[in-house]
Amino acid sequence: MSKKHDHGHDHDHKAAPMVEEISDFEALEIAVRELAIEKGLFTAEDHRRFTEFAEQIGPTPAARMVAKAWLDPKFKQLLFTDVIQASKQVGVDYLKPTGFGTPSDYTDVRVLEDTPTLKHVVVCTLCSCYPRPILGFQPEWYRTPNYRRRLVRWPRQVLAEFGLSLPPEVEIRVEDSNQKCRFIVMPVRPKGTEGWTEDQLTAIVTRDCLIGVALPKPGITSNIKLQVMHAPGDSH
Amino acid sequence: MAHGDRNHHAKIATGKGDPQCFKGTSDGPPKFKVGQRVRIRNLPDIFYTRCQVYTRGAVGEVAVITHESPAPEDEAWGHVDKSEWFYIVRFKQKDLWPEYPAAFANDTLQTEFSERWLEPA
Repeated sequence: MSKKHDHGHDHDHKAAPMVEEISDFEALEIAVRELAIEKGLFTAEDHRRFTEFAEQIGPTPAARMVAKAWLDPKFKQLLFTDVIQASKQVGVDYLKPTGFGTPSDYTDVRVLEDTPTLKHVVVCTLCSCYPRPILGFQPEWYRTPNYRRRLVRWPRQVLAEFGLSLPPEVEIRVEDSNQKCRFIVMPVRPKGTEGWTEDQLTAIVTRDCLIGVALPKPGITSNIKLQVMHAPGDSH
Repeated sequence: MAHGDRNHHAKIATGKGDPQCFKGTSDGPPKFKVGQRVRIRNLPDIFYTRCQVYTRGAVGEVAVITHESPAPEDEAWGHVDKSEWFYIVRFKQKDLWPEYPAAFANDTLQTEFSERWLEPA
């Protein structure tokens, strides 16, 4: 295909590929998925619907559980004894859709409670273990070798890169989630939230607060206001 | 029987979850207590493990006894007939990383082990 045009440059070089070649695991996933569809275990549309469902879960269930626990000592007690039961109260059946979790969403979920002198932060050095039914998909950085290998060894430096610098009198406790337990962090309820409703509190417990790389602050939420454009002549 | 039955896991875990489905399937009560000092053994791990190298030989303290489950070294190969107790162990960061700054001597790290990886310290 390469040839000189009269406009004086050649087209010899190919454009850089937009994506890497697929990995062995991706090839394996496609093979298993296609076999399952062929066998009639589920349809391609079921698969798409589940992907759509899984990708939109988000951290709100876990945020609401933390907000509820800040307000209600009875709920807090339930949260610290049985997260699976507690998650039902915020509308999540943790065992769905398989009925028993998945090999990645094991069902021993634990809450790490911060205090004014103790700050938890979660990592999975082996892969990217994460309580997805209540926290949604991991952020990309959570899966990177950079975060995983550095957080366990240089937690203060990594937290500083997230904008969180803590004094030496605060103990930083890294939780390496390397087996079947899954974790969320329950931060200290910040000052300036006295008298707030559950909805108000839920809004400031962002995903990063639940992983432990940020602290909740009044006025800081993950809700980004996107401008919605209307078509000319649209009466709404 | 686990071997040869692809639905074995679904059968035992549906409605309970995993690791809850393995409750009561280890040999007996946990060998270590909360608060006990333990050393992480340096066992061979030719095929599969979830015991991180950075913890091998380190001494920590049992923080939580979590659940019973087959050890990942067995479960990875479908051997789920035997379970072990699992423990969250808390280490001082300075006991894991020699260069950890003395100014942050209170910092800690927790991670989880099956019983075979622990010995009294």
